[in-house]
Amino acid sequence: MEKKTAESQVIVVTSGKGGVGKTTTVANVSASLSKMGYKTVVIDLDIGLKKLDLILGLENRVIYDIVQVIEGECTLRQALVKDKRFPGLYLLPAAQTRNKDEITPEQVKKICEHLKSDFDFILIDCPAGIEQGFRNAVGAADKAIVVTNPEISAVRDADRIIGLLESAQFKEIKLIINRYQTNMVKKGDMLSIDDLLEHLCIDLLGVVPEDSNVIISTNKGEPIVLNGHSKAAISFNNIALRLTGKEVEFPSFEEESLWNKLKSLGRNIFPGK
Amino acid sequence: MFDFLKRVLTNDSASSRRRANERLRLVLTHDRIGASSQLMETLKEEIIQVIARHFEIDGTPEVTLIREGRRSALDINIPLKGR
Repeated sequence: MEKKTAESQVIVVTSGKGGVGKTTTVANVSASLSKMGYKTVVIDLDIGLKKLDLILGLENRVIYDIVQVIEGECTLRQALVKDKRFPGLYLLPAAQTRNKDEITPEQVKKICEHLKSDFDFILIDCPAGIEQGFRNAVGAADKAIVVTNPEISAVRDADRIIGLLESAQFKEIKLIINRYQTNMVKKGDMLSIDDLLEHLCIDLLGVVPEDSNVIISTNKGEPIVLNGHSKAAISFNNIALRLTGKEVEFPSFEEESLWNKLKSLGRNIFPGK
Repeated sequence: MFDFLKRVLTNDSASSRRRANERLRLVLTHDRIGASSQLMETLKEEIIQVIARHFEIDGTPEVTLIREGRRSALDINIPLKGR
């Protein structure tokens, strides 16, 4: 499979707080991109606490890792794990028994430069926190995605991360709100999309609703976009589409009433009416 | 009784999102400039002292942090007595 675009995009996915769904986002958005025919590589930079291989279901196929590439124990090509379900999706695994301060931003940047000639999208899964691991991840990227949950501690950490990205001269910083629950927002028990945009003041890239299918697909090691038409899968696909430059309207995130469901069912059965 | 309870409960829950927003607004404003509310109080007192050394203050001086997008600004409003 050949690279599709002239200019590669190097995107870091970060959040500050752990557990908001960074790795799930990276896995699904990259799988979706490769489904659309874009050659995509994901780099797991959570050295010492790797997860991406597991979420993608590639844990048994990992042979080498990024630290071994940097230390010259193997070539970059040898370390890349090809995902057989998605043509054009590759994983550069993290090392599990090493530390984040064993590599530098310059080394990560050099790897990304090499990958650019082969890939349309290079997605970097950034570890939680704002220390060395964060610096390694952001140094090589020219765009950033901040993942957050509609929950105050996640928003506070997201705000700190956005501040750091702005000082690092990032021009394009976009927000993904994960685990959104429309019914809770309606009851006045959860921060809304508008609340988060008001606090964080960056552009919205996508909203992923709370969806138990995410846990099920993670259990199986299958990205939810593989064959799912679940709410989360649709959202991840929309995010991938927006990254390729397509305008995708944001759904209203209103809980559908029975009447509306019947109406749309009717429209599907009798198109043109 | 049931209606009353329901009303109380929904009112209470309606405020949890509002409370979250209020708390975030304050904490983010302070986080962004790296200042605690204690420091803001000290700053306010010192600013007022400096002004009072040169002018007579008339009314209640106000020193507040305001947000404009991702930027913060110090809003100082100190009414002065005319001659």
